[in-house]
Amino acid sequence: MIEAVAIDVVMRALADPTRRAVFERVASAEEITVVELTRGSGVTQGAISQHLKSLKQAGLVAERAQGRNVYYHARPEGLAPLVDWMSHYGVFWRERFANLRNLLKEIDP
Amino acid sequence: MKDAKPDTHAIVVDEVMPHAPETIWKTLTTGALITRWMMPPKDFAPVPGNRFTYQTTPAGAWDGVIRCQVLEVIPNERFSYSWKGGDAGNSGYGSLLDTIVTWTLSRVADGTRVRLVHSGFVTPRNDTAFKNMSEGWKKIVPRLGTVTDEQD
Repeated sequence: MIEAVAIDVVMRALADPTRRAVFERVASAEEITVVELTRGSGVTQGAISQHLKSLKQAGLVAERAQGRNVYYHARPEGLAPLVDWMSHYGVFWRERFANLRNLLKEIDP
Repeated sequence: MKDAKPDTHAIVVDEVMPHAPETIWKTLTTGALITRWMMPPKDFAPVPGNRFTYQTTPAGAWDGVIRCQVLEVIPNERFSYSWKGGDAGNSGYGSLLDTIVTWTLSRVADGTRVRLVHSGFVTPRNDTAFKNMSEGWKKIVPRLGTVTDEQD
């Protein structure tokens, strides 16, 4: 089941540019380890681990342990709190425009 | 935390309707007519500063009330109001919402161009992952309704 996370937690997690970059790298890989994420990132492994922790708390990434390695993958549903209103109103206004058009036809044929 | 401002996004619907701006203006600013194409507004008056509400579907701690305040009224041209609701305890539908709705009418040869801009939606900044994941949404969004219900 999906764990519901408040929008401000997700926002805070993505407000930091480095953390956002980490998230984007996790999202573009199928699965990725801390070591792979650290390589070429210009920050320490400890810093990457901290960012992953925040992303995990925000519901944006999840981990899977296998042997000595921990693999991280993105949880696309973690972004849901940020866009769901938009998809809701995208549909809402298109429907209302159709209603408006019909009403106008009726009152101003 | 850095006070990096998140990007906001807008929904835009832009259509030409074969009617005069004055006629369309009436449908946007008369309570009885708004009721017929949108929803019944409560305490509505097309006067700057006026506060009115819409009752929509509740979610979690949010009663479903959309609170609006009229911001700008330029007869037959422009009408805008704030559109707020939600609760910080919700995610997705029912989460905090602080947006603005703006209607702009302009006369064109075959009627009126009606432009709606609903702005102020918060989404991640320049997030390529966000774009890449649009496919995921189609599967996720229907499930969100269930999550919201379970929060009660």
